[in-house]
Amino acid sequence: MSEKRKTLMAKISLYTLLTVVALASLFPFYWMFVMATNPNNMINQTPPVMVPGSELVANFQNVLDSIPFFQAMLNSLIVATTITGGVLILTSLAGFAFAKLHFPGRTVLFIFILGTMMIPPQLGLIPTYFIITELGWLSDLRAVIVPGLMNAFGIFWMRQYISSSVPDEIIEAARMDGCSNFRIYWNIVVPVILPAFATLGIIVFMAIWGDYLWPLVVLQDQSMQTIQVALRALMDDRVRDYGMILSGTFWATVPLVVVFLLFNRLFIKSITDGAVKS
Amino acid sequence: MSSPKGAVSENGPLEQKKQGVKERKISQRIRNMVSGYLFISPFYLLFAVFGIFPILFSFYLAFFRWDGLTEMEFVGLNNFNIIFNDPLFWKSLYNTIVIGLMGTAPQLIAALILAFALNSVLVKYKGLFRLAVFLPYVTSIVAVAIVFSVIFSNQESGLVNSFLGLFGIDPITWTRSEWGAKFAISAMIFWRWLGYNTIIYLAGMQSIPNDLYEAAKIDGASLRQQLWYVTIPMLKPFIIFTVFTGTIGALQVFAEPHIFQGRAGREEGITVVLYLYRDAFVSNFFGTASATAIVLFFIIIIFSVINMYFANRIGQSKKVGTGK
Amino acid sequence: MKKYSLISGMLVLTTVLAACGGSDEENAEAQTNGNGAEGNNNAAEGNDVGEEDVTSLGSDEAEVELSFWLFGATGYPELAEEYIEENPEVSISFQEIDMEDHHNNLFTALSAGSGAPDMAAIEVSEIDSYKQAEDRFVNMYDLGAEEIEGDYLDWVWQIGQNVEGDFQFGIPTDIGPTVMYYRTDVFEEAGLDSDPEAVEDMIQTWEDYEEVAATILEETGKPMADNPETVFNAKRDQADQAYFNEENELILDSTPYVKEAYDDTAEMIQNDYVANLGMWTPEWGGAMAEGDYATLLAPAWMQGVIKGNAPDATEWRVASMPEGGGNWGGSWITIPEQSEHAEEAYEFLTWLLAPEQQLKAFENMGLFPSTPEVYDMPEFADATDEYFGGQNTAEIFAESALQVEHVHKGPQYGDVNAEILTGLENVYDGIDPEEEWEDILNRVEQRISR
Repeated sequence: MSEKRKTLMAKISLYTLLTVVALASLFPFYWMFVMATNPNNMINQTPPVMVPGSELVANFQNVLDSIPFFQAMLNSLIVATTITGGVLILTSLAGFAFAKLHFPGRTVLFIFILGTMMIPPQLGLIPTYFIITELGWLSDLRAVIVPGLMNAFGIFWMRQYISSSVPDEIIEAARMDGCSNFRIYWNIVVPVILPAFATLGIIVFMAIWGDYLWPLVVLQDQSMQTIQVALRALMDDRVRDYGMILSGTFWATVPLVVVFLLFNRLFIKSITDGAVKS
Repeated sequence: MSSPKGAVSENGPLEQKKQGVKERKISQRIRNMVSGYLFISPFYLLFAVFGIFPILFSFYLAFFRWDGLTEMEFVGLNNFNIIFNDPLFWKSLYNTIVIGLMGTAPQLIAALILAFALNSVLVKYKGLFRLAVFLPYVTSIVAVAIVFSVIFSNQESGLVNSFLGLFGIDPITWTRSEWGAKFAISAMIFWRWLGYNTIIYLAGMQSIPNDLYEAAKIDGASLRQQLWYVTIPMLKPFIIFTVFTGTIGALQVFAEPHIFQGRAGREEGITVVLYLYRDAFVSNFFGTASATAIVLFFIIIIFSVINMYFANRIGQSKKVGTGK
Repeated sequence: MKKYSLISGMLVLTTVLAACGGSDEENAEAQTNGNGAEGNNNAAEGNDVGEEDVTSLGSDEAEVELSFWLFGATGYPELAEEYIEENPEVSISFQEIDMEDHHNNLFTALSAGSGAPDMAAIEVSEIDSYKQAEDRFVNMYDLGAEEIEGDYLDWVWQIGQNVEGDFQFGIPTDIGPTVMYYRTDVFEEAGLDSDPEAVEDMIQTWEDYEEVAATILEETGKPMADNPETVFNAKRDQADQAYFNEENELILDSTPYVKEAYDDTAEMIQNDYVANLGMWTPEWGGAMAEGDYATLLAPAWMQGVIKGNAPDATEWRVASMPEGGGNWGGSWITIPEQSEHAEEAYEFLTWLLAPEQQLKAFENMGLFPSTPEVYDMPEFADATDEYFGGQNTAEIFAESALQVEHVHKGPQYGDVNAEILTGLENVYDGIDPEEEWEDILNRVEQRISR
């Protein structure tokens, strides 16, 4: 009897805890929506409004008047997909080389890459800015894309994955058939590591999509800004319109949430794999 | 991209193959070398331009006074002198550490408890809870900072202030008060990363063999004892990972105070990276900004070493389950 | 819904008018952490410019293609159509973006030595930091600028030149002469006459101002001013010297002016005459609508902000600033040295910024003219503003503009200003003004040594 009661108590407290945390996690999303649908003067009300209003379209129209929202979303998409694609190719090639090809200096070079992971990106921030200026890439998406292709973590991760998932025998066999190393990479390694592409791809995409400091520094022209930089500009208006600000933030968040909900298992698995495997 | 001699050769006659084995071994070695270097070269090329060079130049710039427009002027160690004598620099370091602690330490503990709850056999709809808890991670830091800036509005009608008002607490000027600003910024970090760390702990817990719990249960261990003596020791590598990434992340906090308190920040919430950003891109003091970058680099190294030291000690003193 | 569209209409107006001036104060905020405002919503002229930030005028076959970088909403592209019609050999592309982005872009282009336009606006708070880089700009005097010099207010023209007065960086656009906006309801509640003329008579000196403040505080419990920043600005701008002398040496400690402005402001803070509503914050805007304070010491373009924040208020009026006006905001159009069409650019600028066009810019976009000739034009002098109870506000602004004297600012003006404003805020939080002043001096020393 008491055992049962104990279980019941445990159940109740577990569910309470989880429900509270889940609600706390979801509440800002709901509230973003509430604000995004209410006119600004409602927002100054006490107590605060808690139900959606009717200004959904008007607020978003204000966003469009204030920042090039769709252009910024497109810029973010271009930047994030290009970098993700490039990083997957470059890191898997390098990972393959480090895992399966023997060449002098391999270990040292690999340790060097690991070492670069220790360097905070802020260390080279200022000179990199001047390099970008010299290259004439200021307010050009290349300013974000090209440095973004450098991904030490990805190489490390790919190396680990390829070492453990691609058997040496297959590679040897392919060599006996006269396959070039690139061919081996392309025909044998890539198909095997497709799940790794998904994992690393999601991690990189998420990181780039949310990146802020560097795009803020180099993408000065409004039409070239990523959505993160553009969103901040909403906070700049002289008369602060919270309805508009949160409308922009809401609509910039929705696409990712939808994608996440569609592929949530893959997402969560990727994030944990990325963390656990390292 | 393929290596020079790498075109696919047709399967030659057996004779030829045998003859060629030795040659092939040598040429294979060369081929591997060529393609090996070729495959890893993009990273090193990029790193030369966007890694090494800027870092060296940062060290160089740190010894000059420069506004980006007029001539550079060599000032020796003066830039370091300036920032080390600047109370605001120390304040920014203090803020960074305090906000890091406030946003990370309770968050990791909460994540641990939450993961434990999610891992419990008693709970149904795990997938749904997991989804809800993880959702904040999908939101970008900028979006989180904006939403929380509005939630922690200084106005009496702000969400948190009206909530506090229910308990008769006077409205707090979040952006301008010492602990208000820190609390709000920490809350942003807490909210966004809680789910992420929960999921990682959960993955770790799921890799713990069930018989360990069974054994503990047979020994009469309570739920709390199970958590303390089975789960946590087995989770050590995961905890080390989250502490490590949490520390590095906390030392680089920028977007939250930048958005919450404005382009140049304010002394209650300014972090080291924001201090650097302000000097460089708001005031055009590129010399002191570079010096700050270098100091930040060493701070991160110091914290990493401390982390590693503790990680090693823990690793040595107790047997730790390995990750997947 | 109807009300809503009115508000949004006002919002547009707000940014439009705000375009005629940012402020040193805003820049100061942007430069350092201090002062009353939250800081991130400043310097935001013309965020409303939106997607269409590039406008091209003229035919593709024009012999001379000029590029022009601006910030905020100036209406210049529309204005320039007439010029293009008369000068078909010229085409102009305008880029109008956010004020801070604009200055960042310009800074980088000048620093890199390439990518700068043929013409670029520089705001008053930024211009002194560019003056050390004479080699990056075309000297307007080399193009004959002494001929048009007389059209402009002396002090405005002087801000656009170097200390010696032989290098003219830019031609003035608009200015921000300061006045005292006030709420009739607060004055009446305190039993005071709220008629503009009466108020002006009542408040002629700062002493009067403080006396009225005491009365209002006693009768209504409301503060006289919104925040220490606006009060300090008003007082500081009436002094003969600011923070630096013409050799750019710090004179904070050696001249009395700034210290006096600081002391007076501190005293008013301690007497509870000043609230601490940070500029550009929502609470600041809200108080504007509610009439939570009596006066707002601010420039002409602030009328747009008032109308935006308090669209339904009928109680705002305009009076002259006690002891004379100052300036807050305005821009100069420069020609970067990189330009290959300096002469054509200059030709265009002398047309665009001539009195006739400045009047149009005032009528279209509310840019307050820097050419005094306009002040006597009937279209200008006879204009009344229903929002301010049918007052002839332009006349009051013009009167203020004529009173301003040129004061040298120096490249690090903004940094110093920010530290002082931080200090005043600390005073507001209860720190002893004298102690804080010492602290300010230390912080300033710290800041300008970088």
